[in-house]
Amino acid sequence: MGRSWGSVAEFEGFLDAGGIVEPVDAMPDEYRQHVFRFIELHANSELMGGLTERDWIPKAPGLRRKLAVLAKTQDEIGHAHLLYMVAADLGVKTRVEMLEDLFANRGRFHNVFHYQAVTWADQVAIAYLVDAAALISQQAVFKNCSYGPYKRILRRIVAEEGFHMRHGEEMLLVFAEGTAVQREMFQAALDRWWWPTLHMFGPPSKPDDALLRWHIKSERNEDLRDKWVQKYATLLTGYGFVPPDPDLRRDPESGRWVTGEIDWAPLKATFANLGPDSARRVADAARHWNETRWVREALESVARRAA
Amino acid sequence: MNRSAVCDRPDPAAFGQQNAVLAALAGVDDPEYPGVSIVELGLLEAVRVDGPRVEVDLVPTFSGCPALAFIAADAEAAVRAVDGVDDVTVRFVSTPVWGPERIAPGARVRIAADFAVAVAVPGRPTSCPVCGAAALVEESMFGPVRCRSIRRCRACGERIETIR
Repeated sequence: MGRSWGSVAEFEGFLDAGGIVEPVDAMPDEYRQHVFRFIELHANSELMGGLTERDWIPKAPGLRRKLAVLAKTQDEIGHAHLLYMVAADLGVKTRVEMLEDLFANRGRFHNVFHYQAVTWADQVAIAYLVDAAALISQQAVFKNCSYGPYKRILRRIVAEEGFHMRHGEEMLLVFAEGTAVQREMFQAALDRWWWPTLHMFGPPSKPDDALLRWHIKSERNEDLRDKWVQKYATLLTGYGFVPPDPDLRRDPESGRWVTGEIDWAPLKATFANLGPDSARRVADAARHWNETRWVREALESVARRAA
Repeated sequence: MNRSAVCDRPDPAAFGQQNAVLAALAGVDDPEYPGVSIVELGLLEAVRVDGPRVEVDLVPTFSGCPALAFIAADAEAAVRAVDGVDDVTVRFVSTPVWGPERIAPGARVRIAADFAVAVAVPGRPTSCPVCGAAALVEESMFGPVRCRSIRRCRACGERIETIR
């Protein structure tokens, strides 16, 4: 029932004209692999992010924040759940294979989840800075993504992340308008999270980036990073916080922010799951997976008996 | 909506003010469905206008909904901006219980078209927002938010979040 294309060039012409690929279509295998890996990375990151968020449910200050953290955890685990289904439909790996790869340290997830959130201010920095960076990236993917099921999920994820950002802004204001101790606490968190957030957009895109060519991404990493820097350098310095980059400056002519040189070594370490907190995070996730195995087995046995 | 609570003031001046307050609330979007108002979602239960004082009763979709504080703040700001209003109380009531049948038919169509989210109204077939087939089967009781489950369309294969 699906469509097919005579050649890769013809398929690329279809994508360039704004065509949307559906799971039933006979897409080129290279496209299938790229879309799959991209969605798998996103799903893994939502899951690892959700688990990180969950650690803060008992520690959130006050009932209202606890409710927000609970809801964010459910959002992120729910996004992972949906994304794993969509990735599995591509037929490259099953959902269980993706999860087992992740827990056996063979999977990849976003760099920001390879670091430890030390204090509640770190959680606020994540909600205020990292979620905003994720939103900028996801909006750009949503705008021109050529894979239909992923594009439709992103539309909802973007709406929900926008709502997380409101929480982030509200929590940041508590620190910005708070006591000297609170301001120091957020500054220390900013010192930890500024560079990982810049890294999150990825190293500068190569001219022949397959993700751009296949219309999975629509904007280069450095352009998205620049968008974030322009907005957040202004906001943070406006609140009197100091990003930990001695070379960060405003270009006197264009009025635009220019960062110092970015050291990519920490990002590369996270690609190999060798970030500061990678081992603990993966082991923790694997422990949950093993501890809940009996639940899955019980449900499967009920389903088998019913069939 | 509880009409008796909304329309229990026959005084024409108060009635005009009531309409102005309702119009203001109709302009408040739900934080998770930009473009769909809280009135269309069926969150508004009653409005009472007493001179410059306004009370608004809202029904939460789920009692643990994390958006409640934002919704209340947005509703309060919108009503406060109405001429002649200087005291606004917005509260969430626990009865009646919200259900998807409270979503206005036009909003159900927009939620499907803009967010690819289905609305499961009890006693009515739920169609797939992507292909239109009435072939959704429950896949997971839990989705990203408490008010939505995940269904799968047997016709086109899409995973559909469904407001329940």
